[in-house]
Amino acid sequence: MGIPVSECLLKLMAEGYTLDDYRGDIPPRWCTGCGDNGILAAVQRLCRDEQLPPERTVFVSGIGCSSRFPHYMNAYGFHGLHGRALPVAEGIKLRRPDLHVFVSTGDGDCCSIGAAHWIHAIRYNMDMTVLLHDNQIYGLTKKQASPTSPRGVKSNTTPRGTYLDPLNPLSVTLGVANVSFVAQAADWIPELLYDIISEAYHHKGFSFVRILQRCPEFMPHQFDPWVQNPDKMLLLTHEKGVQLSAGLSKVYRKQEAHDPGDLHRAREIASLSEQIPVGILYRDSDVPCYEDVRMVDRLHTPDVIKGVLEEEFDKFTIWPSE
Amino acid sequence: MNGNLSKLTSFHVTGIKPALEAEDAGERSFRPALFAGYGDLTKLRYDYPVVLVESAAGSKFAQSLSDIVDGILREIAPQGAAGERLRKHVLKLEEELRGLVSQKNGASLLDLWDAAEKSLLTRTEKAARDLLRDSLGRARNALHVDGEVLDCDEATPTRFITRGWNVVQAAKIHAVKKRIEHLVLKLSDILRADYMKTEEARSAEIFRASVGTAYDEAFDFSAMSGILAKERAGDLLPDSRRQRVQAALTILQAQRFHAPLHDFEQTVVRQPLYDFVFDSCAAALEAFRGRLPEMVEVIKAMSIAELEIQNLYRESRHEPFFERFDEGALGPDDLALFPSYLICLRGERIDPAEAGRIFELLNSDLPAKILVQTDDLLRNLSLSAGQTSSVGGLELGTMALGLNKAFVLQATNASLYKQREQIVNGLRRDGPALFSVFSGAMPRVAGVTPYLLAGAAEESRAFPVFAYDPAASPDWALRFRIDDNPQAEADWPVHRMMYEDRDFQGTSETVAFTFVDFALCDGRHGADRVPVARSDWHDDMIPVVEHLDLAEGHAPDKIPYVLMVDENDRLQRVVVDDKLIRAARRCGAMWHSLQELGGINNSHARQLLDREREVWEQEKGEQLAKLAKRAEPAGVASPAAAAPPPAAPVETTIEVEEAAAEAPSDEPYIETPRCTTCNECTELNSKLFAYDENMQAYIADPDAGPYRQLVEAAESCQVSIIHPGKPRNPNEPNLDELLERAAPFN
Ligand SMILES: Cc1ncc(C[n+]2csc(CCOP(=O)(O)OP(=O)(O)O)c2C)c(N)n1
Ligand code: SF4
Ligand SMILES: [Mg+2]
Repeated sequence: MGIPVSECLLKLMAEGYTLDDYRGDIPPRWCTGCGDNGILAAVQRLCRDEQLPPERTVFVSGIGCSSRFPHYMNAYGFHGLHGRALPVAEGIKLRRPDLHVFVSTGDGDCCSIGAAHWIHAIRYNMDMTVLLHDNQIYGLTKKQASPTSPRGVKSNTTPRGTYLDPLNPLSVTLGVANVSFVAQAADWIPELLYDIISEAYHHKGFSFVRILQRCPEFMPHQFDPWVQNPDKMLLLTHEKGVQLSAGLSKVYRKQEAHDPGDLHRAREIASLSEQIPVGILYRDSDVPCYEDVRMVDRLHTPDVIKGVLEEEFDKFTIWPSE
Repeated sequence: MNGNLSKLTSFHVTGIKPALEAEDAGERSFRPALFAGYGDLTKLRYDYPVVLVESAAGSKFAQSLSDIVDGILREIAPQGAAGERLRKHVLKLEEELRGLVSQKNGASLLDLWDAAEKSLLTRTEKAARDLLRDSLGRARNALHVDGEVLDCDEATPTRFITRGWNVVQAAKIHAVKKRIEHLVLKLSDILRADYMKTEEARSAEIFRASVGTAYDEAFDFSAMSGILAKERAGDLLPDSRRQRVQAALTILQAQRFHAPLHDFEQTVVRQPLYDFVFDSCAAALEAFRGRLPEMVEVIKAMSIAELEIQNLYRESRHEPFFERFDEGALGPDDLALFPSYLICLRGERIDPAEAGRIFELLNSDLPAKILVQTDDLLRNLSLSAGQTSSVGGLELGTMALGLNKAFVLQATNASLYKQREQIVNGLRRDGPALFSVFSGAMPRVAGVTPYLLAGAAEESRAFPVFAYDPAASPDWALRFRIDDNPQAEADWPVHRMMYEDRDFQGTSETVAFTFVDFALCDGRHGADRVPVARSDWHDDMIPVVEHLDLAEGHAPDKIPYVLMVDENDRLQRVVVDDKLIRAARRCGAMWHSLQELGGINNSHARQLLDREREVWEQEKGEQLAKLAKRAEPAGVASPAAAAPPPAAPVETTIEVEEAAAEAPSDEPYIETPRCTTCNECTELNSKLFAYDENMQAYIADPDAGPYRQLVEAAESCQVSIIHPGKPRNPNEPNLDELLERAAPFN
């Protein structure tokens, strides 16, 4: 069903947001050279290009440098508890499916303290765009090893270097039931970063984008070999994924035509060690979203809300006469 | 020719009944011979009775008793011998129930079921009763539906279609109702949020009322009010906006087209809802036209609400638009937001003015669903030459096809159940639909049930079944269906009839069922037929169907007859007059055109096929001739090309060709699309380096800083996309060293 009159009126209305309309009141407080700056720019571009009304867009985060993201966006925001960005975002989506929900979370926030929520959020497959800002370190608390820190990284909590191999956020995500969208981006290839976030935004379901993010402060030169040698990057292209511009194709010559429908190959790509893959690893548009599955055919009218609350209160009411 | 035969010939031609010798035919009751097998329908399992199932969706609104019972048996009775007892008992109950329906038409299934169970149990001997009770108890537990039970009679078409309409209507409008409630809720929210900013909402009285009497003493409400009143609450809505929101809200709450889904705080008094079922087109049209202004208001209110909720209403732009929005602006999509109009008519009572209105509706975009029920299909047969007939259901059906706009379903009581999907289809369409149904409840036809008569009308092509759905496809092939007719490929359906001859020997004969057989069911046509004693049977008597195959007026000496049975199921030849034969020819011609429309024996297609075949045969002949000329053994095609290609490798890493190196530029530049927005360069000099509209850096002004800064920026840029070019000021200090440092970046 459509309400044709207002649809045409809405088109007639196009107000035209500029990128400035999405800039928060305070300038970003990230370090110079921090990859988060580029992620912010890409997201602001996306909001402008999609003309997302700021009052219909929400940015949710946990705690960390990257989790300061909502402050720098002019939209609704929820700077939450460490590790709990996803449950908050799920609550928002469940109650207000009409909002565009974005989540910014760090490698500590998502893969360490928030790992349980992460796994279940993948399985719930609620329609939201999730950006994992993976700088492989706890930045905000000034350098502690995170689950994604490479083996041997010396930090305040691992003075002799870490002992374990890092957790691979891509393989983990690809292994969970109902996974519907997995991609990897690098903050130093902004063109692709934008394209990938845009694909993630357009996917209906839980779109998980791991972004390799440089932290010049606590992990300086960590990604230098890949930043300086484009041949160490593997760009995934496909008509059902992202396509490269001519300029980019010239710089990044290692490419693979990867069909995002191929889960098996996606898992192989996710576990590459020398090369860093960038692009869309997996996409399945047919996985149902939890908010649709659980959609109730009941409007939350004042009477309904009142009735439900009364019912709950009655359970705890003590009647003095009884 | 014997005396009787010549009398029969003259009867056939003139229609004047002869006084036959030997056997007195009298006015006896005859039925078509093929009916002999169908006496008591309650003993047969067929589509009736039908249950109009409560709270069912789509075409499930009607389920035949047999289907329901079969479903139960599938659930409770195991296959094979183990389930035999249950099957026998439950089918017995079904038979009992059928008998009851004919007495208590319209009762609910559960009531009938219980009554049938009770009477069956009381009639059963004590010894067998427990087992029967057990079987029936299990079946009853597996019965999950209830609803009004319909037998096949005069009232059936209206009840059947009305129920379908109700079900479709409820489902179709549900989404609209939800939308409206959503809008009402959101508009109320806007007003409520505005109210919360008023002084009144922050008054001590309001706070006191919200806490209730138990803790009345515990708070200082005036102090609370004092504190909150100081807090700036933001601007109130402008009056014009509040009034607009309020007006839209009132219209949406007071509108009489849709019943509310939930009862929540109604702030306006609503008049009784509109009715959408009518018994004349005139009344429906009048109601529709009278309601138009209100429909416009509702559509406007919905649009305004949509805009207001999204905060997109701009007075300067939208006010003029809504001021001009009137009845003329309502399109089919708007109409689809309202219930459709169900109009139930009787074919025999349609006067010319009403017929005109039917076409007016069917030719419009209005959501009119018109049921035309025909009871007397042979009315026009009894007209004498020179009398004209009015337009009835049969004519309406085929005429509506020509409009090319409306959905049309023609069916009879005997096929209503089979056509339930099509019925739902037509009811769901946004535009108009015509359902032309022959009930079979013909006046003056005794001894034949409406179901049988309706079926006979389909068999005899007197009332063929067809469905035309213009929305289904642009091609006729998919829009128009006649395949539900018996033996749709044939002119007349044929059946094998088994009977015993005079010596009680079983024989069989192939008998066609034509329009004449159908017409003779009607007592009024007693005058058009003469039964012929066996002694008078003659070679010049031929079955009607053979007579119809002859070109008109081709065999004046042949006398057409049909086979009928009398009260005692004795087979008779019955000779008919030419008037009936002519009517049968008209009916056959009409059937042929329907067949052509439905793609059967299509004359265009046949011609095309003939032409194509001719061309094909000619080419083939030429090829053969050529081959014969060569007279060489033909070479065998080489199989080499057929080898499958090797499997593609899983990983294909593309090595992109090195492009010709571009000549280094003297001007400084940045590969802007690759900028990561890291702030390194912009922090160095924000006049020299700036961000573009995508927050990516470019050289804003190459003269806004020294060459040194360009080189430093190039060095600190982690993705090495800053190219310093050549110095612009030849007098800048340390140029040699700077040029050396710049070299890797140029
Ligand atoms: C419950 C809880 N535990 C620990 C902390 C301390 N803490 C703040 S941020 C952080 C890690 C942030 O790392 P990451 O999520 O990778 O974000 P980054 O700063 O690297 O962007 C920790 C452990 C906290 N704020 N709350
Ligand atoms: S500490 Fe690292 S992650 Fe945090 S703002 Fe600085 S560069 Fe970015
Ligand atoms: Mg981190």
